[in-house]
Amino acid sequence: MSFRMKMSVEGDTATIRLAGELDGSSAPELNELVSQAVGRQVGKLVLLLDELTYMSSAGVRCLVFAHQKLPRGSEITLVGTNPEVAETIRLTGFDRSIVMQ
Amino acid sequence: MLACRLKIDVQHVSLPGVVADFIEALADGAGLTSRQAYWLRLATDEITTNIAQHGYRGGAGVVELSGEIEDDRLQVSIEDEAPPFDPAGYDPAPRLALPPALREEGGYGLLLAMGKVDEFRYEYVGGRNRNTLIMRLLGGANADGSGGCRAG
Repeated sequence: MSFRMKMSVEGDTATIRLAGELDGSSAPELNELVSQAVGRQVGKLVLLLDELTYMSSAGVRCLVFAHQKLPRGSEITLVGTNPEVAETIRLTGFDRSIVMQ
Repeated sequence: MLACRLKIDVQHVSLPGVVADFIEALADGAGLTSRQAYWLRLATDEITTNIAQHGYRGGAGVVELSGEIEDDRLQVSIEDEAPPFDPAGYDPAPRLALPPALREEGGYGLLLAMGKVDEFRYEYVGGRNRNTLIMRLLGGANADGSGGCRAG
């Protein structure tokens, strides 16, 4: 199963593009990247998800991890989330803590 | 009827990937919609991952997947020899009621597993947990015997 990601940091915003499948095998890679972003003291995280085709609870836990590690009040925005992935996040209730565009 | 069976070592480096391939082959054979295939894969991924992490506590063990395509349904059974555990008896509500910053990680998987399949059943038979997931076929079966399955 394929998973790819790429981060760019501009000002206080980290933008991470995810592609492929975010499951228990690939989630640790994303957590590592989120930790790097936190180390660069960003206050906003934007995830570009239009090429992400699958997210399991391990992926939702990455979002929770990011929410916990970023400074209080930081905004997490998901862009281009496909319907099934968006529904997966909604089922966990975590959509209330992020912005989905 | 078409049937597939697969035994997996739960310590496999990509357990979710193996599960995904198995479900994809079955979903293709049964003619599931892409939406149904997504939720069946998610449910199977969450149940097997839970067995590996909590049932066998990260240790050695085997999980056996079997799939059966019938006229009106695709049925996936997941069996393991870990201590008895009924996912339907697990209530994630108290955890989900907390704000995310106060939650422990986890607790979502089983909620997702049971959320979108048409039917979920749990039994403990002959020293094994058996979780059964059912998706109803909307447009009739389209089984062609491919994907390592056998017609039966």
